[in-house]
Order: sequence, then C-alpha cells, then structure tokens
Amino acid sequence: ESHIQYERVGADVTMKCGSMDWDAAVTWTANGTDIDESHLNGSYLILKNVDLTQSGQYSCYEGSSWHLKYQTYLRVGLPPKEPVLMCRSNSYPKGFYCSWHLPTPTYIPNSFNISVIHGTREMVCEKDTFPKNRCHIRYLQLFSTVKYKVTLTVTNALGKNFTTLTFDEFAIVKPDPPESVVAKPVPNNPRRLEVSWQNPSSWPDPESFPLKFFLRYRPLILDQWQHVELSDGTSHTITDAYAGKEYIIQVAAKDNDIGTWSDWSVAVHATPWTEEPKHLTTEAQVTETTSASTSSFMPPPTTKICDKGAVVGSGAVAVCWTAGLVLAAYGVLFI
Amino acid sequence: GDSWGIFTFLCAALCNLPALPALNCTEELGAGQSIQKTYDLTRYLEHQLRTLAGTYLNYLGPPFNEPDFNPPRLARAERVPSATVDLDLWRGLTDNARLAANYRAYSRLLCYLRALDGQAGTAELRHRLGHFCSSLQGLVLSIAGVMSSLGYPLPAGPAGPPAPPGAPVAPNDFLKKMDDFWLLKELQTWLWRSAKDFNRLKKKVPPAVVTLRLEA
Repeated sequence: ESHIQYERVGADVTMKCGSMDWDAAVTWTANGTDIDESHLNGSYLILKNVDLTQSGQYSCYEGSSWHLKYQTYLRVGLPPKEPVLMCRSNSYPKGFYCSWHLPTPTYIPNSFNISVIHGTREMVCEKDTFPKNRCHIRYLQLFSTVKYKVTLTVTNALGKNFTTLTFDEFAIVKPDPPESVVAKPVPNNPRRLEVSWQNPSSWPDPESFPLKFFLRYRPLILDQWQHVELSDGTSHTITDAYAGKEYIIQVAAKDNDIGTWSDWSVAVHATPWTEEPKHLTTEAQVTETTSASTSSFMPPPTTKICDKGAVVGSGAVAVCWTAGLVLAAYGVLFI
Repeated sequence: GDSWGIFTFLCAALCNLPALPALNCTEELGAGQSIQKTYDLTRYLEHQLRTLAGTYLNYLGPPFNEPDFNPPRLARAERVPSATVDLDLWRGLTDNARLAANYRAYSRLLCYLRALDGQAGTAELRHRLGHFCSSLQGLVLSIAGVMSSLGYPLPAGPAGPPAPPGAPVAPNDFLKKMDDFWLLKELQTWLWRSAKDFNRLKKKVPPAVVTLRLEA
C-alpha cells in the first residue's frame, strides 16, 4: 500500500522500510533512481534539511529478493502564512463576497474555512464554483449597525493560520467599473468628444441606489488627467479637447452616498472630429502627428488647414484660430 | 430620582419644538426641491457627525474609540430607534411611511442628543454638540416640510418621554457610555439610510436637480 507524508522544508526526515529490522539489507530508490548507501542508517533512509526538489516517490526494496517492502510519497512544503482576505460589496444591497489567497505558496494542498458572524448570528458564506477562493453572502437586513466579522482559516498537513476582518455594512461597498464605455467624435466639432457608458451589470438596483461617476481624460501625448465628477446620467460631452489629438478616456463609479470608488473602467481611445480631406484617413493622419510630437508640442495639422482657407464657415475659422492660439500658448508653456 | 424627572421634562419640552408650524418657506419651494434640500441636509449632517463622533468617542475613551469595537447589543439600547430593516420591507414602504419613519427617528434621536449636551466633557465638545443639534433640528423641520407639501399628516405628537417612567437610568458609568456609543452609531446609520430614503423619494417627485461639478 502507498503512503503519503508531508514534511517541512529544512526538516530532517527518517524513513523506515516498513516492518523491516534496522539491520536488514535494503535498497531505497527515489523516483526509480537508486539512492546511495551514504544516506542510509541501517535500513533507514535519512534525508537531512529537505528541500522542495526532494519531493517524490520513495521505495524500499529487500536486498536480495528485490521485493517492494515499503513505498511512500514525500511532499515537502511549508505551513501556511497568514492568508490575505478581502470582502467587498459590488452588488449592494443584495450582498457581498469575500475572496482570499495565500501570500506565499505552501507547495502542498491547503483547505480553507470561512466563518461570517453578524452580531450573534452565524451566516453561511456560499462558496463560488469559480473563482475557487471566493464565497458570497446575501444581506438579510439593510442599514445594520452591527459589524460583520469574517474569519478565514487555512489549514494544511504542516500547520494552520487565520485572519479576521471586521467591518460595517457600508464600509465595503465598491461597485464594479462602468461597462461599455464608448467615446465618439462629434461631427463638425473639433473640440468635442461624446462619452457614454453603462452602469456595471453587477449593480442590481441603480434606481434606488444610484451611482455617481468620475470621468478622466487626457490626450495621449500629455501625462496630466482632467477630471469631471457627474452625479447623474451615463453620458458626458467633453468640450475642451485639443483638436486632432487622440484621447484616452476612463470612467469610475461609486454609490452616491456610501462606500468607495470602483476601479477605472477599460480605457477607450477617441480623436475629435477634424476637417480632413477624404482621401486621407483621419486615423493615419493623427497617428503620424502623435508619433512626431511625442517629445515637443508641434503645431497640429488643423492650423495648416485653417491657414489654407479650406474652411466650412466663419464659425469653423474661429474654432480653428482659437484652437491654434490655445495650442500655441500651451506649446510655449511646455518648452 | 430628581435628575430623571428633569430629564423627562426637558425632553418633553424640547421634543415639542419640531411640531411648530414654521413651514411657510418650504411650502413655496415645492416638494421636489424640498426633498433635494432634505437629502443635502442628511449628507451634510453625516459629514459633520463623522468629526463629532470621533471627538466624542475619544472623550469616552477606550474601548469606545477603538475602530474594531464591536459590542453586543444590550436590551436597554432598544430605546434608540434603529434604522435596520428587512430589504423587501424597506423597498415596499409608501412615501408616507418612509417619511414618517425618518421624522420619528430623528425627533427621538434629537431628544437623546440634547440630553448628551448637558453632560459632555469640554466646552469645545458641548459647542460642537450644540451646533450639531441645531442642524439636526433643521433636518426634522425639513422632513416635516416635505410631508406637509405632499399632504401627509405629521406623525402624532412628539416622541414623549423616551422611556417608560419605571425604566432605570444607566446604573453605572460604563453602561452610560455604552448608551452614548449606540446613540451615535444609530444616528450615523440613520443618516446613511436617509440618503437612500430620500433618493427614492427624489425619483418619484419631479423635478430632479442635476448637479455637475468640474474639477481641474
């Protein structure tokens, strides 16, 4: 029959050849390879200061008959360090989830046990099928003054460890980032970009628990973000974009009153509408300009078009001029 | 004893204040804007309370000012109105019931807070408590204004003496501090709940006011 044994890294391991006497003649193998006699003390196998590479199958054979007398699987590992636990409500007021992981690997199997106590009541945290180290709880009551206490215990063959989190219902509210962020140029408006997005699908009740949003945007060539906070609606028009520059835009969400901001949404890129001749794609023109002006601020192509007089109307000229002046001013600032 | 009688009298007197008909200005604004104002007030109070609670709990000393302090709820603490409610029940509240619950809760909380006022340690703390009580009184009046403009009757009478005459005052210093702790906790939770209550009311009563703030 086969055994399995767990030993700690750095430990000294003594393996006995089953019921054989100490002075019996035996041969030990590790993963099929013979082990040198120097590691033997009689019929005992001595492994000093074991390391991870010594995990494997160890077999003991009687000297002359070559009968298999004993076999064991050695797993070298570590007892668990204090686990990392995080709890969060991205689906307020439906419930919250907790997820955990070990800061360093143990190299042997671990089992996790989570307990959630609310006041005097013990609640059941339902384990998720995926991801594995996660469980979720439904709120039974809302607006509770009593804290939740979550304890995670991790156990393996070499030891155990645990960590505890105590929090108020409101403290862990953090929505998922907004979804389907779309940014589009506005025709005939070289300084505008129209951004729209949707509530995260995990937020169950935006009617009663409305979200507010934080939008940030910058042209790719600058490092500084501009910010807008919006307490209503899922769209916004940027009106001060630099003409012809490609922008990167992100949105974050937060419950109107409680909790913390979500992570930033996936970034979207967009370039304001420019009056370009049809045979050149706007994208190619902009890419060219962007790569050329990474180190310094160059006059953008739109001013050239303005100079040439190929404009639609007086309004467009004014925009062109203003854009040119603003950009020139910034250019001076950045030199 | 004597102190309990004085306490009861003070509460009865103070608690009659919210029923005063100082509602002319709010009626003119219309229900929608009154709700918005009330909502804004709860947010303002919640913000104020954070500082006030921190200071007061420090005055009470450990363990009350420890962030992990998580005591069991004692039966005596039930006197303070709790914001905790079943989710479906909360969703199903009528506008009238929702407003009335808020009105009753804050009227009583105000009462208890005012009792705190007289005993607090430093002059600074008493001043802050006094200021907060005034703002809280404003909230109670604001809720009354909303109810009135929507045609709902104010909940019958003030809260009255907060405890039946036979109930004991906190028998020792520690339990008295526990009472204070739970009072502040319930107040904080009510302010969070009210923000949600008034959000719901906002949606039902037009027009909603859109705020847009630009930050550089």
